[in-house]
Amino acid sequence: MSKPGFLKSALEGASVLLQKQARHPGFPDVDAADPERRGQALYRRGRHRMRAGEIESALEDFDRAIELLPDFAEAVVSHAECLDMLGRLAPAKPEYEKARQLWAEGRVGAPDRCYLFRQQGRLTFEVESYELALKHIKTGSFPLSASGNALLARGRAEEALRFYDQGLKVKEKDPAILALKGEALSMLGRYRQAVDAFSSSLKANPRAPETLSGRAIAFAAMGRLDKARDDWRQQLSLLPEMQPAARACVALRLGDYEAALPELERAIAKAPADPYWPLYRLTALKRLGRPLGALSMPAGTAAWPRPLFDLLAGHATPDAVLAAATTDERRAEALFQMERFKEVAERAPPAMIEYAAARNELSRRR
Amino acid sequence: MFSVIIYGRNDSHGYNLHKRAAISFNALAEVMSDPDDEILFVDYNTPDDHPTFPEAIHDTLTDKAKRHMRILRVRPEQHVHLKSKTHLVALESQSRNVALRRSNPKNRWILYTNTDMLLLSRNEGESLSDILGALPDGFYQVPRFEIPEMLWEAAFDRKDPAGNLAKLRDWSMRFHLNQVVHNFMPMKYDALGDFQAVLRDDMFAIHGFDESMILGWHCDSNLAARLALYRGRVDTLMDKAFGYHCDHTRVAAANNKGRKTTMNSHDKYIWNVSSPYIPEQAETWGWPDVEIEEVRLDRDTSYERYTAGLSQAIEPATVPFTSTSCEWHLFDDLTYDLSHTLPFVCDQMLTYPRSTRIMVVASRAEFVSRFATAWRGMGLSGRVLVPHECRLDLDHPAIETGRYADLLRRTDLFLFEFGLASQKDGDPVRTGREASPADRKQLRIVERLFRQAASTEPATRPPGRRTPRRFIGVNVIYNKYWPTFTDYVGANINPFCSQVLAGFALEAPMTMKEKILKFRKRAG
Repeated sequence: MSKPGFLKSALEGASVLLQKQARHPGFPDVDAADPERRGQALYRRGRHRMRAGEIESALEDFDRAIELLPDFAEAVVSHAECLDMLGRLAPAKPEYEKARQLWAEGRVGAPDRCYLFRQQGRLTFEVESYELALKHIKTGSFPLSASGNALLARGRAEEALRFYDQGLKVKEKDPAILALKGEALSMLGRYRQAVDAFSSSLKANPRAPETLSGRAIAFAAMGRLDKARDDWRQQLSLLPEMQPAARACVALRLGDYEAALPELERAIAKAPADPYWPLYRLTALKRLGRPLGALSMPAGTAAWPRPLFDLLAGHATPDAVLAAATTDERRAEALFQMERFKEVAERAPPAMIEYAAARNELSRRR
Repeated sequence: MFSVIIYGRNDSHGYNLHKRAAISFNALAEVMSDPDDEILFVDYNTPDDHPTFPEAIHDTLTDKAKRHMRILRVRPEQHVHLKSKTHLVALESQSRNVALRRSNPKNRWILYTNTDMLLLSRNEGESLSDILGALPDGFYQVPRFEIPEMLWEAAFDRKDPAGNLAKLRDWSMRFHLNQVVHNFMPMKYDALGDFQAVLRDDMFAIHGFDESMILGWHCDSNLAARLALYRGRVDTLMDKAFGYHCDHTRVAAANNKGRKTTMNSHDKYIWNVSSPYIPEQAETWGWPDVEIEEVRLDRDTSYERYTAGLSQAIEPATVPFTSTSCEWHLFDDLTYDLSHTLPFVCDQMLTYPRSTRIMVVASRAEFVSRFATAWRGMGLSGRVLVPHECRLDLDHPAIETGRYADLLRRTDLFLFEFGLASQKDGDPVRTGREASPADRKQLRIVERLFRQAASTEPATRPPGRRTPRRFIGVNVIYNKYWPTFTDYVGANINPFCSQVLAGFALEAPMTMKEKILKFRKRAG
């Protein structure tokens, strides 16, 4: 065997191994005890099998993932796609619809904040796709930002921060990535560093409403309410008329209920099914000492924030409402409606509208 | 419910564009069921003397397509500031943003596609309006499938969109057309630009398409990257509809030079996108302050305007035909039939903006007054500018007289008529009539003003105008003014019967020396 022949043969062997690995990457988490990790691993393996043409096996993985995580829209839609590929469109159709419904049901973040907080779902498919892209794209920041966003939207700030830092190595001092980094730092409670990141971003792009929002929240969390107010005022001046919901949120954070009212009216007209705009409208009227009028709650309002409407109408006791508030955020919303501003300011996450509004209420009282 | 946004121009972009586009326009209208739905076609940079692309093929469009279609015409003058920066004659981002800015605000969705696409709902009979109406907020794509050129060209009937869609439903299975081509995220599928359904609010929030992308290609991928950041996900609508593309690879389109194709940077506009927003164009995208003409195919059409104008200016003929002659011995006879010529003159006007101001320099007063009547009748609101120097006695509400030098800087279009001032309507035409001294005097004025206007055209444009102005010559074929006119204006060879030549002023008029050299070259 000649040398080149030997080398060729050895490399062929290695490439067969590599191909095999690529065909069957490991999915160690499919046996994890944590249902979330296990469900996501099954989904990933299902997608892998789907791409390999092993549709029946993929269907099994998606079935198991959905069993573990019934609200896993990505797995539902992939299951539907597999059925569709097999020519079974009739059972696939309701699954496609169900996936869309699951995504739509999740409450999105406030419209005045960074866009990434309005992303819905687990984004597993996207993260996997971007991971794949990162194997081939070494000089692009997009997969890094997108992966970071997907993680941050799921509350995984530490991991997101790593992606943003890598992104900043590719695109040094990029104002958009700096602002995302600021959001990750803020979520981690590293407010001073967050303010620095936001400030660097704003230096390059001062007319960025969402970056101003991020910095304002970080300032407020640090107790520097005057600075926060400046940023929110600046943000309000930059937000276009056609974003009334975002404008209303900023006005509410400022505790400027007079400014918030007309924006809320327009937000209700634009999104009549969203219960928060009529709720905040009633809140604004109440804070301004005006009659609340008829308490109209959008049809189909979910279990939450229904109790808050009941509270404002005098049909529910504070205790009953607090009992129905199953998360920190809901509890903060309830406490705010009960005018227990000090507790809101002490306990609520600083990114909440109620937190900023409560801080402003307290500062006014002083 | 939704606004479809497409763009193009009146040219020949790719193989059998006219058929592809008619099939597509009609098929898009066919899947609309909401009265607010609209097809916004941005006609970008079609020369001013051409009609827009949909007008040029209007007879192949269904009534439904005409009802839903709004044509937004971007003039060469509006594109000229970008001309030196790109090799392309039609710009995608600018076009799509112009349409977005002017889209129906009642519509929740914007659908970006192209003029060779057919959308087929998987539930037979379900309209795209119904499909989009029931969808939650999001950013949706569908896979694109190809239709072999033979099939759409040979078997589709342009005016039978329902039949075409039915054929497609059959072919898709019979000929295995449906192959989903997956792509890297954020481009969920290959050729994603042929179906991107986006919330109108989202498009405004992210400042539209990136208008710095002026080299062609990847505008759709850039949008996908930015919307993927904004929304987090790119959703599929493949359970609801498939997109079919009329393949057109027999002839490469103008923006396709194989491996030598110039493109927007893939890295910059896809892999290094870091924000959904484009703050640099936040206030300017879609040219909010630019007046964009809107053309309809279902009302106030060019034909309606043309007939309205002419019916006010001329009476119908009372004899089966009239006659004239282009024999050489009649070369010096400058008589012509005004009623016959005016329709060919008016034919030159309808594609121009209604606000166009036209300078008319003429020998025959009757020509000017009849032309002015037709001008107003055709719905053109700009003034008809007649220089004092013409010494014509005119009284018409459309006409404004003034000093030639002043009017020269206000005019958008030139019309020079070389007739005999003494000719009256009904006089015999081309029978060997000689010009009177008064005729010759008037013709000398017209000729002098023509030479001056043509040779100084670039220097006398209205303030801010960068594109050249067109010259229209009347009675300049097979007579002594033929060489005069074409020495200064680059006009085509037209049939004598039309009496009209038109074109732009030559950069340098053809001199006598050049003519002699040309003659000697030909002779020797």
